[in-house]
Amino acid sequence: MGTYWSSYRHPENFPDRTREPTFDPLYGFPNGRKPREMIASVEEMEAAKLDLCDRDYCAHKLLEFRKCRSDNWPWVANCKHEKHAYLTCEFDDFVLRMKEHEREKRLKDRQMRLNAKNKALELSE
Amino acid sequence: MALLRSLVRKGLSSSTGKNITFQALRSAGGWNKDFAPGPFPKTEEERRAAAKRYNMHPDEYQPYPDESYGMGDYPKLPDISGESKDPYYNWDFPEHKRNFGDPIHAHADAIGEDRWNISAKPKIPYKTQILVSIGFIGSLIGIYFLTYDFTYYQPVMPKQLPANGVHYTFEPAE
Repeated sequence: MGTYWSSYRHPENFPDRTREPTFDPLYGFPNGRKPREMIASVEEMEAAKLDLCDRDYCAHKLLEFRKCRSDNWPWVANCKHEKHAYLTCEFDDFVLRMKEHEREKRLKDRQMRLNAKNKALELSE
Repeated sequence: MALLRSLVRKGLSSSTGKNITFQALRSAGGWNKDFAPGPFPKTEEERRAAAKRYNMHPDEYQPYPDESYGMGDYPKLPDISGESKDPYYNWDFPEHKRNFGDPIHAHADAIGEDRWNISAKPKIPYKTQILVSIGFIGSLIGIYFLTYDFTYYQPVMPKQLPANGVHYTFEPAE
């Protein structure tokens, strides 16, 4: 919440959008987290000459969509369901990455509070 | 010289060649040296002679200062562009807004009607125009540098690619 405000207020706690999260991904999940599963295989993606940036967890839907387009050409409107499925998958992926961003930010804030608390304890001793 | 003599002799021997030869001799004048201004007038007599040469009254005639720019005795005319001259006056040559025998400005090629209007009086002075331009561009550059540290972007982590390692959903594992 308040992306602009928090990036201005605590720029050192704001996650780096170019790097992977720095904390343990399983920290704070007593039951663990379900790993994301990749459905399309590397061979499939290489055969379809997918761009490197498209080889994400939605690649199988993109492959389906491209196959449908090539089968139905020029009546590509028949592939609207495949297209919608692919774009929905990408949307969910974006939401997940936003959640990761928020998690990283809150953990950094927590780390800052913990450090301040430890320092105060050391001074009082 | 021998070439010219043989040319003339050959030309005079036939009627066509004669015309060609005479034509070539007739247009032998009008070279650059004929257009060049004379030396800078030092005495009053030279001044009068130069003014007469340029069809000007001696009181109006005023040469460029003798600063070895090659102007010689060429008259220094007021800087009036073709665009600033009266378009409704009955000029002898309306396309150049010029009368017969008028002396030509030394920079006539640069301040012609289709070129720089040197005598323009703009509604907004040039100083104001330049200040407004610099002010506008300067404020844009200023905003750029003042807000350089407050870059905004969407709050999202980099794209998760399976090739970069394991990634997790937010659902609990079984």
